[in-house]
Amino acid sequence: MAVRVQFENNNEVGVFSKLTNSYCLVAIGGSENFYSVFEAELADTIPVVHVSVAGCRIIGRMTVANKNGLLVPSSTTDTELQHIRNSLPDTVKVQRVEERLSALGNVIACNDYVALVHPDLDKDTEEILADTLNVEVFRQTVAGNVLVGSYTALTNRGGMVHPKTTIQDQDELSSLLQVPLVAGTVNRGSDVVAAGLVVNDWSAFCGMDTTSTEISVIESVFKLNDAKPTAITSTMRASLIDSMS
Amino acid sequence: MSLYNFKKIAVVPTAKDFIDIILSKTQRKTPTVVHKHYKITRIRAFYIRKVKFTQQNFHDRLSRIIQEFPKLDDVHPFYADLMNVLYDKDHYKLGLGQLNTARHLIDNVAKDYVRLLKFGDSLYRCKQLKRAALGRMATIMKRQSANLTYLEQVRQHLSRLPSIDPYTRTIIICGFPNVGKSSFINKITRADVEVQPYAFTTKSLYVGHTDYKYLRWQVIDTPGILDHPLEERNVIEMQAVTALAHLRAAILYFIDPSEQCGHSIEEQISLFESIKPLFSNKPLIVVLNKMDVIKPEELAPNKRALIEELEATCAKGNLVNADTNSELRTVPVMRMSTVTEVGVQEVKIEACERLLGHRVTEKMRTKKVDGILNRLHVAVPSPRDNKARPPVLPPGVQEKREKKAERESRKRKLEREIELEQGDDYVLDLQKNYSEIAEEERHDPIPEFWEGHNIADYIDPDIFDKLAELEKEEELRVAGGMYAVPKIELDETMKEIRELARQIRNKKAILKDESRLVKQSTKPVMPRTSRARDRDRSTTKLRDQMEKLGVDMSDTKQANFTKTRSRSRSQSAPVAKRARVDSRARSVSRPARDEQGVKDVAMQKRAKNLAHVAIARKTKKMGLKGEADRFIGTKKPKHLFAGKRGVGKTDRR
Repeated sequence: MAVRVQFENNNEVGVFSKLTNSYCLVAIGGSENFYSVFEAELADTIPVVHVSVAGCRIIGRMTVANKNGLLVPSSTTDTELQHIRNSLPDTVKVQRVEERLSALGNVIACNDYVALVHPDLDKDTEEILADTLNVEVFRQTVAGNVLVGSYTALTNRGGMVHPKTTIQDQDELSSLLQVPLVAGTVNRGSDVVAAGLVVNDWSAFCGMDTTSTEISVIESVFKLNDAKPTAITSTMRASLIDSMS
Repeated sequence: MSLYNFKKIAVVPTAKDFIDIILSKTQRKTPTVVHKHYKITRIRAFYIRKVKFTQQNFHDRLSRIIQEFPKLDDVHPFYADLMNVLYDKDHYKLGLGQLNTARHLIDNVAKDYVRLLKFGDSLYRCKQLKRAALGRMATIMKRQSANLTYLEQVRQHLSRLPSIDPYTRTIIICGFPNVGKSSFINKITRADVEVQPYAFTTKSLYVGHTDYKYLRWQVIDTPGILDHPLEERNVIEMQAVTALAHLRAAILYFIDPSEQCGHSIEEQISLFESIKPLFSNKPLIVVLNKMDVIKPEELAPNKRALIEELEATCAKGNLVNADTNSELRTVPVMRMSTVTEVGVQEVKIEACERLLGHRVTEKMRTKKVDGILNRLHVAVPSPRDNKARPPVLPPGVQEKREKKAERESRKRKLEREIELEQGDDYVLDLQKNYSEIAEEERHDPIPEFWEGHNIADYIDPDIFDKLAELEKEEELRVAGGMYAVPKIELDETMKEIRELARQIRNKKAILKDESRLVKQSTKPVMPRTSRARDRDRSTTKLRDQMEKLGVDMSDTKQANFTKTRSRSRSQSAPVAKRARVDSRARSVSRPARDEQGVKDVAMQKRAKNLAHVAIARKTKKMGLKGEADRFIGTKKPKHLFAGKRGVGKTDRR
């Protein structure tokens, strides 16, 4: 099930939240509307935690996370780090990294097994990433963009990449990540997929502007309902062609 | 959607209102007071301004009307034709054309009268000319009165037209009056078209929207069409024909086999045959409605034969489409009943499917799809190793999904609900959900700093043990000789290279020093902020320097240079306090401005002299008392401050 949600009239929900298979981080906003959407959907199964990073609300772009761990940038304060440690289960390793590219969420895309990273990422950060999140790391670009974290939404069941990614690139990335991939958009044609969409293995949250065709693509590629990813090329093909061109 | 929106056209006032609006505006926005003793140029300017202002307002207002009404040549042919049917193209064009002429006439009137006004020789004459000009403009507008009322009616009608997008996915419903077209659109959309048991209930086009396959579909309900030649068709029928002719849509042709509509099956089929050209190259479905009343099988044999014949021709294909386009060749004949809702959804789905397929093949043919082919592709991974990467689903998820199916209400109280309950008193409690910390300890205050140490640095309980361990490891490494520099045996060539490298390094250093010594400019540089140097010769300094140079200064106690004497007359003057030259740098305050940037005392003296000469020259020449003399004889000269002044003489005399 994909849920449409807005953060204080902003559709870029991936900027203000981080969703993994074992916990969910949500920015501290003016009201609890945004938080409660996540709470209602997830709180029975995984902790949903209010978090700020370096005093900012853009936690989704600053952090990188999966079920095994969480990396936060060096600008995170000690109190924030302690709050995160207290709130998350002890199985989740929380680590602060000294990295020049401090918006970790923009430069790293990962699921529980593999990660794509920005080609210029520090060697040490790559090691910490591999150890903390327990992933294989690949330096890659997506459709010529180095900000792989912004242009990729990834789970263990599927992935969505920048809409201009060529078919060869998709195939290559797919065999690296070992999940089915599709090139798509969110929020009525926005190409920053990870900013408009947060997703884990059983639920997804996307911006309020997302069209029904976009939602149907999201649900089938991430296997959130009974549809298979192949539905995109078969049953949904005609409506996709008609809505996109 | 917003491509054709006629709701924003401004109101067209009637001729009388129009004149009132403009004249009152002239009255409000131009000066109103003029006297006959004014200079004649001023009086002329006053009235010329009024005439020009009125003309400009007429011009602007008329231009706005002409611009805002849609140009029939620019809009989509569907709208152009629809407007032709509804408002008569010639009338419409003529109306706007006459407004345009009126605008030109008004411009010319103003031009003529402004020219005349230039020769007006009294206030009275000028005023009469102005009156005449405004009067003629008003007369021109009065003649447009019929035109303006017509255009206002057109505007009101246009703004109530349904917003039909001619380019989107469209389904058009057509057929004889009273065959159930409006009932059908009410069933599949939320259009809420009026349904009555008499013919021509629907008098204009209606639009509804429905969803199918994640897409939005525009459904157009048309007024009924009768079977007669095009020339005899009335405005209501012509709207339907326009929609059929210009919109690239799927068409549902409704037939009422029960003949409750008042027209026989023969008539309905013959209408179908006669408007067939309008269906060319469009997906078409023939719908037999009112199946709840009578089924084709129950009809009288002659009528049943007609239906069967229709079905046969439809199934044969090549009915309406000249090319052998495979999907449009055959026309399905479907049955439904809007009363029992049997077959309604099937008809909708069939129409949508056919139109979608048609649109997709059209798009494929025009190569529009090439740009998005990569988005229709699902990259399926080829396995690169034997590692399993299963999805992670916490145990609660599956249960929750099942629960959701049962629509069980959730027990948890949401943060938003708490917030609403407490209103302004609500404070977000970040600590209440801490995991693995006892309930009563969660809200314990923890200081950030304790006795000068950051708590976060000591958060690890066995940090000291870890440190000791690391240190021990390091010791072992040192003992093991990990950091000892191994002795390197050099062979002959290596030695040669080393020697050469050393020579190069030396040479480089020498070159560097030389270049530092041999500068381009050999003059000393004097910083601006340094002060003139005092004399610093002393016997001790001399002695030190000479000793450093290697001169034996041991028995110079009685030497001539030691016999110095202070300039003071007093022999008992106290010993001056010695400056601590060598011990540390002392701060020096910034020197005075006349001491800055001079090299020595002599130079300072010379500069002072020069300044004195310059000042003296100036005072002598101007008869001043000194440097500070700035004498003003009379502070307020009378001729500058007394008496009347004319217009525009405040800044000069």
